[in-house]
Amino acid sequence: MTAGAVQRTKAVTRWVGLAALVTTGLTVWLGLWVTPPAKVQGTLARLLYIHPPIAWVALYCAFGVAALSSLLYLWRRTRSLFWDRLGASAVEVGVIFTALTLVTGSLWGRPTWGVWWTWTARLTSTALLLVLFLGYLALRRVPAAPEVRARRSAVAALVAFVDVPIVSFSVDWWQTLHQRGTVLNPGLTLKVHGSMAWTMGLGFLAMTLVFVWMVMVRYRIEALADQVGDEELEISLSERWAEGDGPAPAPPRVPEPAGGGR
Amino acid sequence: MTVTVPAKGAAATPSARPAPRGTRRGRGRLLLVFALLAGAIAYLLAEGLGSSLDYFDTVAQAIAHKQRIGTEVIRLEGLVVPGSIHRSARGADFEVSGGGYRVIVHNTGSPPQLFQPDIPVVVVGHFTSAASTLFVSNQIMVKHSATYIAAHPTRVRGPNGTSH
Repeated sequence: MTAGAVQRTKAVTRWVGLAALVTTGLTVWLGLWVTPPAKVQGTLARLLYIHPPIAWVALYCAFGVAALSSLLYLWRRTRSLFWDRLGASAVEVGVIFTALTLVTGSLWGRPTWGVWWTWTARLTSTALLLVLFLGYLALRRVPAAPEVRARRSAVAALVAFVDVPIVSFSVDWWQTLHQRGTVLNPGLTLKVHGSMAWTMGLGFLAMTLVFVWMVMVRYRIEALADQVGDEELEISLSERWAEGDGPAPAPPRVPEPAGGGR
Repeated sequence: MTVTVPAKGAAATPSARPAPRGTRRGRGRLLLVFALLAGAIAYLLAEGLGSSLDYFDTVAQAIAHKQRIGTEVIRLEGLVVPGSIHRSARGADFEVSGGGYRVIVHNTGSPPQLFQPDIPVVVVGHFTSAASTLFVSNQIMVKHSATYIAAHPTRVRGPNGTSH
């Protein structure tokens, strides 16, 4: 990646971050002060503007990107460490959002259902998803060559992704305490009223932007870490050769700047 | 990404990079992490799939399988019959309906905040006998819908432009 491209990427990241901040702020303002309380749930319904958008990011954006990146890495024609880094970044962000999904769901569940937690299919499969992707992150810490690690991780991500449709359809397949989808239901019928609907829509946009921003930042860190790893390898090799042959060779040169893609 | 290696003619690319060797302590820590994760998965599967994937029996299902259920503890789902709630110091007595059947619930403990007439609930407890329609419960969970309508519908318009 050229220096110009790095600068452009940094600028895009900043703008995405700013957009995420503005839309999140607007969602909070509309959600807390502008939208009306709901019938039955009253002010508890305000969690609608944050819990489903967070779950949307975790399930579909983060783990969707991770699964797609893994497929593209495993497919020989598109194999590139770019997909590995993207997948890893998406999973890392996805794990945070999955944990937040469970926390916000629990905060919502206590006053509405009457319990913080119960072993219903939707909750159990979501907790399982969190553990599976924590396993993916642990697997990435196992010492291995980059290609080996990327291949293992891609397979692990695809295996863990099997749980995503189970989480998604659990409320339709089985009798659960969790209500059916407010947006993603079998009839794709929006069941939210007026200003509450578009505030929730804004919440979806805000959380998606937060996700994109976090992945961009995380990807850059991952790319820089790889670059540092390469430089350390160069230095180690130079030192070893210097020990054996006398004069040390010239200092290592790493041609690509930070954020190198493939 | 291509990395130039000085002299020796051996090009070191990331793909040629040897696998970093983990220290014994690092490997031990990783094994511990994997063991914990495997334990967590096993626990979740055992708890989640140990019982039926269906979280509850509806009133109609419970009545249909009453002989088999007997006095076994189950989760029973039904709609709280309007006018049937009698709150007391120890809890609440009410009826739940579903599929044309009704069950009388004696509940001990305070009901959740949203407990009210005409709302679906899941009650945890058991029938007093295989022939009885009296259900003794110690927990009520409210199964609210996924529909969100403003509390003051006349002040705002519905998604289709009409007032609700």
